[in-house]
Amino acid sequence: MAEATPGLRIVLHQHTKERARPPTPVSSHADRDRVVEVFRNALSRPESPENFALQAVQEAIKPQKQTVLVLDENQSLENALRTLLQELVSAAVQTGERIMQYGQSIDNENNAVGQIPRLLDIILYLCERGHVEGGMVFQLLEDLTEMSTVKDCKEVFAYIERKQDILGKQELFGRGKLVMLRTCNQLLRRLSKANDVVFCGRILMFLAHFFPLTERSAVNMKGVFNTSNQTKYEKDAPEGVSVDFNFYKTFWSLQEHFCNPASSTLAPSKWQKFVSNFMVVLDTFEAQPLSEDDGNANSLEQEEAAFSIKYLTSSKLMGLELRDPSFRRHILVQCLILFDYLKAPGKNDKDVPSESMKEEIRTCEERVKKLIKLTPPKGEEFLQSIEHILEREKNWVWWKRDGCPAFEKQPIERKTLQDGARKRKPRWRLGNRELSQLWKWADQNPNAMTEPQHVQPPSVMEYWKPLAEDMDESAGIEPEYHHKNNRVYCWKGLRFSARQDLEGFSRFIDHGVEGVVPPELLPPEVRSKFHAKPSERNKRAKKEEEQKNASTQPEDTQVSSTPVETDGDGNRGDLEDTAPESQKQSPEMVQEAGQSEVEVGEVEAKDDVEMKGEDAALPVGDPEVESDPASKI
Amino acid sequence: MATRDVGGDAREWDEDAYRRTILRCRERGARTVFRTAFAPSESHKPEIVVAASSDGSIACYSLASCISSAAQVRNGVDGLLAKPIAVIEGHKGPAYDLKFYGDGKEALLFSCGDDGRIRGWKWLDVLNSEVPVAIQGSHLDPILDLVNPQHEGPWGAQSPVPENNAIAISKQDGSIFSAAGDACAYCWDVETGKRKMVFKGHSDYLHCVVARESSNQIITGSEDGSARIWDCRNGLCTQVIYPEKSHKLKETSWVSCLAIDTSESWLVCGTGRNLSVWSLLSCECIFNIDSHAPFQDVSFGGNQILAVGSEPILRCYSINGKSLSKIQCAPQSAFSVSFHSSGVIAIGGYGGFVDVLSEFGSHLCVFSCGGLDRDL
Repeated sequence: MAEATPGLRIVLHQHTKERARPPTPVSSHADRDRVVEVFRNALSRPESPENFALQAVQEAIKPQKQTVLVLDENQSLENALRTLLQELVSAAVQTGERIMQYGQSIDNENNAVGQIPRLLDIILYLCERGHVEGGMVFQLLEDLTEMSTVKDCKEVFAYIERKQDILGKQELFGRGKLVMLRTCNQLLRRLSKANDVVFCGRILMFLAHFFPLTERSAVNMKGVFNTSNQTKYEKDAPEGVSVDFNFYKTFWSLQEHFCNPASSTLAPSKWQKFVSNFMVVLDTFEAQPLSEDDGNANSLEQEEAAFSIKYLTSSKLMGLELRDPSFRRHILVQCLILFDYLKAPGKNDKDVPSESMKEEIRTCEERVKKLIKLTPPKGEEFLQSIEHILEREKNWVWWKRDGCPAFEKQPIERKTLQDGARKRKPRWRLGNRELSQLWKWADQNPNAMTEPQHVQPPSVMEYWKPLAEDMDESAGIEPEYHHKNNRVYCWKGLRFSARQDLEGFSRFIDHGVEGVVPPELLPPEVRSKFHAKPSERNKRAKKEEEQKNASTQPEDTQVSSTPVETDGDGNRGDLEDTAPESQKQSPEMVQEAGQSEVEVGEVEAKDDVEMKGEDAALPVGDPEVESDPASKI
Repeated sequence: MATRDVGGDAREWDEDAYRRTILRCRERGARTVFRTAFAPSESHKPEIVVAASSDGSIACYSLASCISSAAQVRNGVDGLLAKPIAVIEGHKGPAYDLKFYGDGKEALLFSCGDDGRIRGWKWLDVLNSEVPVAIQGSHLDPILDLVNPQHEGPWGAQSPVPENNAIAISKQDGSIFSAAGDACAYCWDVETGKRKMVFKGHSDYLHCVVARESSNQIITGSEDGSARIWDCRNGLCTQVIYPEKSHKLKETSWVSCLAIDTSESWLVCGTGRNLSVWSLLSCECIFNIDSHAPFQDVSFGGNQILAVGSEPILRCYSINGKSLSKIQCAPQSAFSVSFHSSGVIAIGGYGGFVDVLSEFGSHLCVFSCGGLDRDL
């Protein structure tokens, strides 16, 4: 019926609209009706929304800007659309159809969508493109759920779920999250927790997906207790029922503490009362251990009980409840939760339990855990999972204590961190602070070199003495004590020789470590084994003499140069102190040094730098040259 | 009372009153409840507990009033001195056992004691006596007063009257069985008060007796270490059970307590620190359990075996010998455990304490028996 007329009516209205156009008052009834008609007409168009939706808006509102509506226009469009939606729903109700299916044309296969989803599609498209204000579609959805029966709401909600991706887009989400939350909460409130479990679950799942993980609106930030959740129980013994009423009262009075744990810890008297009552209950549980049969008898019930929200407290049920393992578990788990709360450090020092209290908590907890273990079915497994859950719960508590920090780590943060690292890097010339400090130490103590306690590398003559003694076969040193088998000793010695006695060092290739030992140290018979030509030996000896002189002299030059060469000096290690001098004196040896690189690559690299430093020693004004030795290499 | 009045004022010092209170205090501390029993009631709920104690008194306590006053003192004093609603001075010397015969209006209360007597009262008379509780005691004459026979020795010497340690009731043929200290069990006719049968055979003191009505038998437990099953029709011993022999124990021990279940096919037998369960149908020992302390009383409760001994613990076992639970109870040494069909358990013992446990295993109330103390 409704569909037969619109075409005709639209024509009519278009005329009136054109006439009425000049004043353009936005909120008159006639105007609203006109907009409604435009959209009603648009609903019957079979093609997809992008083809005509914007046109429809333009036609209906005559916006100031071409594609985006301004404030007032949005409002009037929204009003009109809400009216239209209302009309559609009431028409659907009158015809007795399901509202989401209302207006489906059976003959046209492409148009198998009802009118209301069609309308929503159009609005959603407009919102998504930013043609109209983004909150509009949420407003319509809220209206729709409020107007529908629970049965229809399921379909409306299915629509919401289908469009979840679009609704969740940043720009739409920002406009409509509160409306959506309100809609869902209203819906949850209408639903029965017992009968519409699946639907409730769908809504909760949707909310969980729709809102970001860090959405705080559902978080109990301060950890406030729901003190309105009170458990009422009988205060006076009923007539003619034989039940241990004192125990009954003791038992249910525990719930007061579980309901508001903070109050029970603050006052010591209250805590004492709780402990004594709790002990009575534990004694009773222990006195009546449940057998496997009890566990099995209730296994069927348990499936139903999974949804049970609160146990009934009638004293007549006491006996049955005490025989019910799942009931017992509930109580014991409550205790564990309470103890966990008490043990967790509070925000202020006042809340921290005293030592005696901690002890009581500990003993109680042990008993409770033992009882859970003994409660069939599968007590042990149950306890394990509970402990696991409580452990996880602690993480949440800490998260809250820390003010609910966001879980998402922004990628930008990492980038800035990298930038920072790059900026800082040149500051520590030697990789980290400690090493640079170590290097700078030389600058700060210019006299360190000349001080008598300054540790100098020993001369090769001194150093190799022990090995030379061992090489005397008459000494009969066992291999395990022989210095040539001490790898650290040999390595050090080789490094010294590489600095001080390159000629000797080169003999390493032919004769191994023993060849490096200066011949002066060796007894004649041993010497002949390694050193064939006596003439060479004389040359060596002369060189040794020279070096000895040199090793005292260069130190002076270096000290004098340090104040000038601030940066270059920092790179110089003690070990190398003497090396550049020897090279300076005998430039032809540089080549040899290059050869030795095979064994001691590092030495070469360092020397290279030193040389450069030395070359540019005085005019250095360019710290970058020295600042990064690694890049040089 | 007297001590409380004294305060700092010694002018009206009552030496005798002071002595009396001291004595009474000591007596009370050393008093022992040897038997507790639930009185039959029309509602089939435990309403009244009757306790036979070592001062020879048989006192009735209302559970409801004990519970309400126990609730008040729960957080304060450890023991509650309960006032009886009725009390009889049953025996000279300790009263050892106490049984109800029949129920309803015709119920009789029987007790036995160290003086070798079995005495019976009409339960309603005891309960509804017009004499104020404060002066009750010997106000009521027993309707039945049975004395154990003295043994005649050479030259007409008479032995002392042997004490009665336990009694058992067989309602079906109207008889009472008593386990006496002269190693004999006696069967008495309730109607006539005549001794019907003597069961001779044990070589030592009898501690306990139970009746097995369905097969017209009784079972006695003796200090000679055996339990005997007797046929009541001819007074002959049909079977001797040596619990000790089936279980190797180093110390010799006697049968201190016996109990049979309601189907009368299971017998539980406490022998020293050992508890053994026997099937009466097949005459086989089902299992043995050892405990730390000697057992002093056993009872069947529901499908559990309840056992107490010289420790403040009630032990519950399943019929196949599994230890189900241990419940702390008030008396340091418990001499009696009785079970009511509603699940309530009463335990009596040293210190005059009676501990009543609810069906959940919680302590309904704990009180100490005032007994015959007049000036409470």
